[in-house]
Amino acid sequence: MDALEGLTVLDFTSHLAGPYCTRLLADMGARVIKVERPDGDPARTVQPFLGDQPGPDRGATWHYLNTNKESVVVDLTKPDAGGVVRRLMARAQLAVTSSAPLVERELGIDYARLSSYADIPVVSITNFGHDGPYRDYRLSDTVLYAMGAEMYSHGLADREPLKLGGTAAILQGGAMAAVAAMGAITAYEVHGVGQLIDVPLFTVQISNIDRRSSSILAYRFSGRVQQRPQGAGGLAGGVYPVADGFVEVTATAGNYWRRFVDMIDDDALRDPRWENPMMAMDPAAKEEADGIVYPWMLSRTRAEVWDEARKVRAMVAPIYDGTDLFGDENFRARGLWAEIEHPEIGKQPMLGRPYIFEKTPWRIRSAAPSLGQHTDAVLGEAGFSTAEIGRLRAEGVVA
Amino acid sequence: MNEYLPLKGVRICDFTAVWAGQTATMYLADMGAECIKVENPFIWNPMTRAASPRINAMVAAILPPWIAGHPPEPGPRPWNNSPAFIQVLRNKKSFTVDSRRPEGLEIVKQIIRSSDIIAENLALGTLEKLGLSDEAIRAERPDIIILHMPAFGRTGSYVEGRGYGAHIDSVAGSTILRGYRDSSPSDNAGIFAGDYWGGMHGAFALMAALRHRRRTGEGQVIEMAQVESSAHMFPQAALDAAWNGRAHHSVGNRSIEGFVPNGVFPTAGTDRWIAISCRSDQEWRALVEFLGNPAWAASAAMATVAGRAENEDALEEHLAQWTATRERDELFHALQAAGVTAGPVLHAGEAAEDPHLAATGAWKRLPATEDYPEVDWLRPAYRFTKSDIDLRTPPCLFGEHNDYVYRELLGFDEDAVERLRAEGHIASTFAPEALENG
Repeated sequence: MDALEGLTVLDFTSHLAGPYCTRLLADMGARVIKVERPDGDPARTVQPFLGDQPGPDRGATWHYLNTNKESVVVDLTKPDAGGVVRRLMARAQLAVTSSAPLVERELGIDYARLSSYADIPVVSITNFGHDGPYRDYRLSDTVLYAMGAEMYSHGLADREPLKLGGTAAILQGGAMAAVAAMGAITAYEVHGVGQLIDVPLFTVQISNIDRRSSSILAYRFSGRVQQRPQGAGGLAGGVYPVADGFVEVTATAGNYWRRFVDMIDDDALRDPRWENPMMAMDPAAKEEADGIVYPWMLSRTRAEVWDEARKVRAMVAPIYDGTDLFGDENFRARGLWAEIEHPEIGKQPMLGRPYIFEKTPWRIRSAAPSLGQHTDAVLGEAGFSTAEIGRLRAEGVVA
Repeated sequence: MNEYLPLKGVRICDFTAVWAGQTATMYLADMGAECIKVENPFIWNPMTRAASPRINAMVAAILPPWIAGHPPEPGPRPWNNSPAFIQVLRNKKSFTVDSRRPEGLEIVKQIIRSSDIIAENLALGTLEKLGLSDEAIRAERPDIIILHMPAFGRTGSYVEGRGYGAHIDSVAGSTILRGYRDSSPSDNAGIFAGDYWGGMHGAFALMAALRHRRRTGEGQVIEMAQVESSAHMFPQAALDAAWNGRAHHSVGNRSIEGFVPNGVFPTAGTDRWIAISCRSDQEWRALVEFLGNPAWAASAAMATVAGRAENEDALEEHLAQWTATRERDELFHALQAAGVTAGPVLHAGEAAEDPHLAATGAWKRLPATEDYPEVDWLRPAYRFTKSDIDLRTPPCLFGEHNDYVYRELLGFDEDAVERLRAEGHIASTFAPEALENG
């Protein structure tokens, strides 16, 4: 039995944030009906592609975000689309949108309209929410991270601030929306209430606990503003080069320093004078420590350093890239990687379960759908006759 | 409005620490779960209530604000006013018990018997050492949901691995993707994106398990290895590796989505920056027009993404020269009005004062306590129109709810409470040995 079995989600989202939210639901067993526009979700055009050959069913990002979903093509700009949406809503327990507030209204998928069809929860992911001065402003992952108050303190003091990798900030919005969606589903199932849930990506970034909401509270408490650092502080710590890449080290005074010293296993570092907190501030002391630590690091691979670190529980870990993560036997054996099978791209590896459920496993039931693959079946279930579907197709309302 | 709280009636026995775990249970507490934080007066749990149990104004001032931006005079209980940790304690309750002693463990078991969830992200094996293996927990409460959030997994070759957010980000493939294009990862500052991510996914998993239990009466164990959940924050890099054998490294502030330009540019003043993305040729044309159609931008070669990508270094240089003399916020609004995706790089103080956040109700003012002044606090990131999902009760102070837990919940009488207080289980501050080790 799946945890979210019996739950139907009507998914109007596209691109990254919304599809990530509904994918989390789909992977736990919800039936997610993706209402796609006739020219397809823009995520179908996002790189990377299998073999670098673009195609609507060849994108890794597209497949990643849309496994386990069904695609129904509806042109929401057509007046008759409302009748289709109405009948699909009647069979759903949750709707998710990710269009700008003005676009929501143009497409007839704003909360007022959707809730007139069925009083179910509607999770609405927007850039800046449904009101306020920035309501209609545009966002990209980089702009989002910039405004989220963390970029300013990420990077080096004398250079420009830095973003996170990939599209992390946007996907964080999708994850937060999924948490909201579970709350909304619970309120609906337990209390019988439908409602609008507004998930602004900007507010999600500001609320992020990794250094930005804490930096904001720190500002309110102390008046101090978190700056970009001058470099790693302390006797040891930060990123070190090793024979085949880099490792991340935490060796702050106390236990973590002692474990780090146990890992390096050089008696010169066991001298109690290193435990004096003032040593950490002394550049000469750091240079002396580096003189021992760097050669140790550079003569070992990441795997060797991590092996040594784990023996003494030192706070050290290798810096992996995607190929390392894919190649790591341990994560493979644990099940981090799953597989999809699709008529065009065949069998391909797919990032697998983010969590292991004892009774209701995360699982892939189907690869991402081709455009409109489920239009006929879903409309048929919703009560449209073959003739009606034919008429809607002829008029370009569905495809 | 409280009747629409989704998780009203759900109780969490909360053993979480640091950020990821405490954030996961915070989301559930926001939604109405009664989250009871189990705290031990004899143990200083690192990076859970503050960076250090003894911090004075002088030390705080030399450490970075995010971790040590306490009120100017941190006072005797810095664990009640650390900006890094106290926020994740909102809507929660705190009680103290020395769970290493048999009578303490029995008290924890009593809590477990009336709990729906037990959540933890302690160093692997810590709960088992206390006598709280999954089996022992289920012996007390067979239908309980147990969430473990280990760093690298409860099985496999890395079970002895230890790590905080920085180490999780390293293995998950996050760290290698951020940094300057022209410098090594050793220039990276710590950003712990995986903590937030892990917290959200932990909360999501728990609510999915709660749904299954509502329908079947069945509890279960969930293991969420933080590295494995965090790998999902970078699917493009992970899958390009898996499908095409290509390793992604940092692209600086450039886009992996094919947006050119995409970057962070200087504006007038000191350390003021604006982020600009052209997400389509249309946005590029809007930018060129906004710039006044300069020759470098108006050429046919620049009209396409491919052309702009070929000339990206020069393009960025031209754009940076142009932005360098403009006022940041004027530029932000003007570019947005012109149809270009742009936004200021806000620092913490500017975000705190941002007019949009204020207008949309991002903050709620809480009264001063003995430990911190009256300031605005973050509310949950999302707004439910019917359910009162909000900052309803302030961050729980250490031991603040001992009376509630011992008297109301567990029904101890006055004598028992006095005895437990004398034995050190019930406390409103840490014992000297905990402070010594902190």
